[in-house]
Amino acid sequence: MSPDSARRAEKLGYTNVKVYVDGTPEWVKRNHLVLSTQFLKEAWIDKDIPHVLVDVRPAAESEKGFIKGAVTVPAAGIEKAIARFPPKDKKAPIMIYDQKGGADAVKAAKALIAAGYAPVDIVSGGFDAWKAAGFPVQTGMLAENIVYVPKPRPGEIAIEEFAKIAKATPPDTLILDVRNRDEGNAGMIKGAKLVPDEEILDRFAEIPKDKKIVAHCSTGVRAEMAYHKLKEKGYTVQFLNAKVDINDKGEFKLEKP
Amino acid sequence: MLRKCISTFSFAAALMIGSFAGQAAAQEKAAAPAQPPTKPSVAKVCGNCHQPQPGNLRGNFDSVAYKTKSIQVKIDEATEILRFDDNLKIMNVQAPADNPDQPLYGLKKGKEVRIEFTEKDGKKFATLISAKTTIKVAPEKQVKTEDVEKLVAQGPKKGKYMLIDARPLPRFQEGSIPTAINIPFPAFEKMKDKLPADKASLIVYYCAGVT
Repeated sequence: MSPDSARRAEKLGYTNVKVYVDGTPEWVKRNHLVLSTQFLKEAWIDKDIPHVLVDVRPAAESEKGFIKGAVTVPAAGIEKAIARFPPKDKKAPIMIYDQKGGADAVKAAKALIAAGYAPVDIVSGGFDAWKAAGFPVQTGMLAENIVYVPKPRPGEIAIEEFAKIAKATPPDTLILDVRNRDEGNAGMIKGAKLVPDEEILDRFAEIPKDKKIVAHCSTGVRAEMAYHKLKEKGYTVQFLNAKVDINDKGEFKLEKP
Repeated sequence: MLRKCISTFSFAAALMIGSFAGQAAAQEKAAAPAQPPTKPSVAKVCGNCHQPQPGNLRGNFDSVAYKTKSIQVKIDEATEILRFDDNLKIMNVQAPADNPDQPLYGLKKGKEVRIEFTEKDGKKFATLISAKTTIKVAPEKQVKTEDVEKLVAQGPKKGKYMLIDARPLPRFQEGSIPTAINIPFPAFEKMKDKLPADKASLIVYYCAGVT
């Protein structure tokens, strides 16, 4: 979008138009982003988009008033606190605020970026701006535990729930194994039915409509494709978005990617 | 972009109403076979420049399963799954260095793609997949991260620049490079009064990497 915009600006007669081709994906490797308190509220909190909101003020200050959902990680102890953040490969968006959007927020952001976290956002104007905008303020103790749960994809079943069903499948449920025959022959979950993903469109008759279908494969990719095919046909269906290892005894290991 | 959001919502709402109406109709006439809902063939983001063409899909690449030779593509809210074989033509895709035999792993989730397909018995079979090509920007017109860092450190007044985020408003709201303003590309014409009065002043555009 930026090269197109640059071309249009040049057509209007602008003579010094540049394009930062690498854009945000490169920027966030070395720098923080910013967002306004209004955007924090509207684009993240109100929409319930998973993120980590960090209050970096001293705890005594935060407790007088903070943004709902924030965890306390005082800037003074940020280096030691990094181990408490979710693993960086989860790519949790991290929003940081201090009192006024100043040095403490920058210090915390720098420490997190140096540790490989991205994206890290600083809330412009900090808590004062949030309060001034009339947005809701909470008082009391802040959470210390940093929790980040990525939003599941449509149709995804919780990994714990799948494990429960796989150990004892209720009569109204069918586990559909959509891996290929070789994979199935090497071991399947007890009670599961094997219909390789590529055969589903030809084998709907074998898949009961009156049961809840839970599809799995070995990574979640084929299971998701199976989910879409079955959903389109009116099935009640979910899929497991996780790595699955099954041995010849039917014992299984699930791992969230 | 606001307009786009609204239209997305109303589109979703229309789909819901459509499916409810469809259910009701199906109940009334149980004998009639249920009509599958028609899916779009061009994602909205592609529709800025491209018209629907028979035998073509345009959308965002989602995933590939080589074990079943299937591609999953998102077209806005809809998902299409297509089979392929070894004759699939692949264009503008860089295969991963450690996996040259499975080039589609080189496609990132969300990448804009065009797919040519044939259809038989309701099953789509892909014959070609072509990723959107990178728009070339002449080297002298490019700035690097270091350059933007220097400008941002000075601020727009001292650095005499305007940094413009060309992404859609929802992406800008999620977080932007400090000192940037948002002029989404589709809103260029409508917002051109935001550009500096001095035509010789420095304008730097960015988005989420040139795709």
